[in-house]
Amino acid sequence: MTAILQLLQSAWRNPRGRTGALLLAIVAIAALVGPWLLPDPLAQPDILAGGLPPGPGHPFGTDQLSRDVLARVVNGARISLGVSVLAVALSVTLGAAVGVVSGYWGGAIDAALMRLVDGALAIPRLFILLLVLAVWERVPVLALILIIGATGWFATSRLVRGEVLRIREEGYVQAAEALGARRRRIIFRHLLPNALGPLLVAATLGVGDVILLEAGLSFLGLGIQPPTPSWGSMILDSREVMVSAPWAGIFPGLAIVITVLSANLFGDALRDAVDPRSA
Amino acid sequence: MGAVSAARWRPRLTVIAVLAMWCSSRAGAQSESATTTGIVIVTGQQATTPVPTLMEGAANSVGNQDVADQLFLRLAEMGPKLLTAGDRDFVPALARSWTRRDSTTLVFEIDPRARWHDGVPVTARDVIFTFKRAKNPDLAPRVSELLRQITSVTAEGESRVVFRFARAYAEQFYDATYHVAPIPAHLLDSIPSDSVSRSSFAASPVGSGPYRWVRSVPGQFVELAAVPDFFLGRPKIERVILRTAVEPSARLNLLLSGQADAMDIIPPPSVGRVASDTTLRLIAVPSSTMGYLLFNQRDPKNRARPHSILADSRVRRAITLGLERNQLVQAVFGSHGMVPYGPVSQLLWIRHRSPRAGGPNVSEARRLLAATGWGDSDADGTLDREGRPLRLVLSLPNTSGIRRQMALLIQEQLRRIGVQIEIQQLEFPIYLERRSAGDFDVDFSSVNQDPSPSGLTQSWGCTGGNNVAGYCDRGVDSVMEQAIGGRGDPGEKWIEALTKIEQDAAATFLYAPAFMYAVNRRFRGVTITPQSAWLSLRKWSVSPVPIVGRSH
Amino acid sequence: MGGWLLRRALQAVATLVVAIVLLFVLMRAAPGDPLFRLSADRPISQKEIEVLRARYGLDQPVGRQLLAFVGGLARGDLGVSIEYGRPVTSLLVERLPATMLLGGSVLLLNFTVGLWLGVRQAVRRGAREDRWLTTLSLTGYAMPSFWLGLVLAWLVGVEWRLLPAAGMQDPLLSSDAGVLARAGDVLRHLVLPVLTLSVVSIAATMRYQRAAMLEVLHLPYIVTARAKGLSERVVTWRHAWRNALFPVITLFGLWLPILVTGSVFVEAVFAWPGLGSLAAGAVGARDYPLLMGASLLVAALVVAGGFLTDVTYALLDPRVRIG
Repeated sequence: MTAILQLLQSAWRNPRGRTGALLLAIVAIAALVGPWLLPDPLAQPDILAGGLPPGPGHPFGTDQLSRDVLARVVNGARISLGVSVLAVALSVTLGAAVGVVSGYWGGAIDAALMRLVDGALAIPRLFILLLVLAVWERVPVLALILIIGATGWFATSRLVRGEVLRIREEGYVQAAEALGARRRRIIFRHLLPNALGPLLVAATLGVGDVILLEAGLSFLGLGIQPPTPSWGSMILDSREVMVSAPWAGIFPGLAIVITVLSANLFGDALRDAVDPRSA
Repeated sequence: MGAVSAARWRPRLTVIAVLAMWCSSRAGAQSESATTTGIVIVTGQQATTPVPTLMEGAANSVGNQDVADQLFLRLAEMGPKLLTAGDRDFVPALARSWTRRDSTTLVFEIDPRARWHDGVPVTARDVIFTFKRAKNPDLAPRVSELLRQITSVTAEGESRVVFRFARAYAEQFYDATYHVAPIPAHLLDSIPSDSVSRSSFAASPVGSGPYRWVRSVPGQFVELAAVPDFFLGRPKIERVILRTAVEPSARLNLLLSGQADAMDIIPPPSVGRVASDTTLRLIAVPSSTMGYLLFNQRDPKNRARPHSILADSRVRRAITLGLERNQLVQAVFGSHGMVPYGPVSQLLWIRHRSPRAGGPNVSEARRLLAATGWGDSDADGTLDREGRPLRLVLSLPNTSGIRRQMALLIQEQLRRIGVQIEIQQLEFPIYLERRSAGDFDVDFSSVNQDPSPSGLTQSWGCTGGNNVAGYCDRGVDSVMEQAIGGRGDPGEKWIEALTKIEQDAAATFLYAPAFMYAVNRRFRGVTITPQSAWLSLRKWSVSPVPIVGRSH
Repeated sequence: MGGWLLRRALQAVATLVVAIVLLFVLMRAAPGDPLFRLSADRPISQKEIEVLRARYGLDQPVGRQLLAFVGGLARGDLGVSIEYGRPVTSLLVERLPATMLLGGSVLLLNFTVGLWLGVRQAVRRGAREDRWLTTLSLTGYAMPSFWLGLVLAWLVGVEWRLLPAAGMQDPLLSSDAGVLARAGDVLRHLVLPVLTLSVVSIAATMRYQRAAMLEVLHLPYIVTARAKGLSERVVTWRHAWRNALFPVITLFGLWLPILVTGSVFVEAVFAWPGLGSLAAGAVGARDYPLLMGASLLVAALVVAGGFLTDVTYALLDPRVRIG
């Protein structure tokens, strides 16, 4: 635990990391609290006067159905952050599990698992997702999270496996085994804690990747379905009105950029803390 | 040292080369636009086989039709009233005159001045050849179906063509002239009919129209050039470019950036932005589109049984009365939308004689629903009956921005009378599959109608191929038969049919819009024919004031 | 080496075969078929459906269709597109150059600007320049390409009118315009689409290259080279850089498919007449032959890319061949 805190502290000391963390915090707070303070994102108060530019009452303007863009962007934050955090949690868990099993047990299991990982890494993630979602018509949000999470653990497992192998070399695992410690204790007391640093980095960076992925899928009409506001589907809807109400498409995009950027800034700072050589 | 300074020069050389190309391309474009007159029209589909009789299946597209209309001249063109019954509203084109010999025979005289683009005169033989190919159901299943009432097309001499029909009916002239334009026999009779689409003719068609084929650049544009000695008057615009962009936002961008001069069907939300561009003129054009909510009168899970909610006409009428259709149309189409009376788009001539569509009546709607046993026993805002809520699924394809927008408004409006609508957006092929299988509660349909009202039998006749909701009224069938047959006043008969369909509340007819087209102001004498946008292009002219660059 | 090469090549072919069958099955499994689109807004008669089904070969059982496709493939015939009525091969050949131009330009920018900036960052590690470039690259990496494309097309093309908003050529360019003028015209149209795809990819290239260079710059032989008195430039570009090339070659293998999928968005937004827009149209129309042909081409490119990457690795590092 203290190792984690140390990592977070040194990431905070990094000015870019600090910026990233603060921005992420702002987005997260807005996502949690915002929807209660802002108007209903689905409401269309005055359909005859849609597409208003940013101004009093509508800081981000309204879209062509007279829905408040700020409210939709903030609600979209809930969905994007929610989907990405949950999907990444799944990916990281799966990756850690496979990495530990592969690294610790070794042998045939290791070979088979790593073959699978190599094969999966060869196919672009977007391809797999497109194939799956093209056949399955309208995925409920939970299924979307599961599918995204299930396709994102491959690189993490490699990472964790590497850490496990490294730690094994260092000897105290053998010492613990010699002392008769149970496998589970070794895994949870020695192996995993050391891998937590890289896992945290992978998780933070993964959040950014998944946000972009989900936005891309929603833009293609395969992810979150309208009228639920998702940043990607907001950009999709704004295509036709880019020339008359550009704010309807610009703000959701900016939201994506800021959120992903802050996740990446913080993740980068974390990575520098874990592995100072790459700073 | 030498290697290092060379490395430093490489990027500079690249920059200079790029600048040189930039300037020369700008210069090239400028000098071009000052000499010949041209128009760039932006379209959503590229023309692949713009040849009459080949426009079947996927080739039956607006993209193909637009180009074919410039390349191939019809026997006669429809007049401004779009009256498809009789022959009074038609204008001579390839045929300079016609007479009626008896109730089932029409005779056309081909204009002796008419020529194919290779100079060969147009004769009766070409018309005979065209209809022989067009009436072959294995080659042209769609067109042969449309021409089924024509029993024979024969020649009397070089320039006289005789059409014989199976029976007397109002639209004989329309059938003989509208569906297919003549194609050159002398170029095609040596090519077997099933390989024409892959022949060199299809790649570079030769027609009799005001414009001839120049070239097609794949995925980008099709170029046509004016025929200098076109017998109905030389077109004043020398070059016509039909530029393709599949994505609607790309089309708008081409128009607004000055890269294109004309565009059809401006999406309603962007009309305001186009209007603010002073180089463009907006023209309202009656559209063939008509949108409506189709009620499934049969149970979607078991077509033999009636629909548990919608089989009752009072519920259907309540939904119609509960919708504020004028507000819906205004919100989406602005001032150029219309609420239709019956399934009639602005393209059909019968709309001029039909009564106005009824307005909303929310209290009557509520009364009707109560009368059929629907009450709100659990006070949740949605009506229910015997424990089942009044919940209907509204199906629509995810490709139509207009329907997506309107569906949300409809959902809100119907919520107020206690009807819960669940919007189901489907990918287009899935939507169509479900629709034809009758697997829907309420289908948000949109049709593009032909100018002839006889197409209504397909959707509203008991045996109509497009009648997926199971609507059947023998009275309507017989009245439509009489209208088609031309017994009595066809217009009156059609109105009778429309009135009955409205009374039966088979559907809620939502919108019959006029779409806005944009044309650069430097073009004069611009008219847009509703049935095919650019048909009158040959009559347009360009203002003599030279264009100052291409504005980019 | 030869044995390894053969095995690798067979692996590539096998992957391709699996991809073909998967694609075929998936397409048939997805609901909707080419004919239903036709009945969208015009009623379609039974006779018409029958004739068209036979014409497009849809009345055969799926297994037969697959065999017919594979048989045609062996002969180099990919069938006839339902939407265009022309052979699929000629359609693909027509549209390939535009996508190659777009992708090639992006890759070129990546391997010049991206690499150069990444190396510069590594060499000046910790300096202000390094930190700013890092922030810049992270910002670029965070941009969704479809959004960037829409915004650029609108802002630069429509509002500011600095560059063409869409298309690949100006159709009104005179037919006797010289090669230089034509090239310049295409170049002007190329800027925005390439920029859209490059922002994200260059950002990633920069990051990877920086990290790779940093790894290498600490290695003993580099320290030795410096100690020997070799100039910084020589050390950087002649010694360190070669070793840092590996991750970038991996990047190439990864970017190829991403470029293809990214170009689908970008080709649509900018009306760029390449394979991406061709394939996108084919999906909506369920144009099976065209879709199969385009997907096959993409799969072949991806597999070939991976194969070439492996071969390059093997050439550069003998250890790989044994593994």
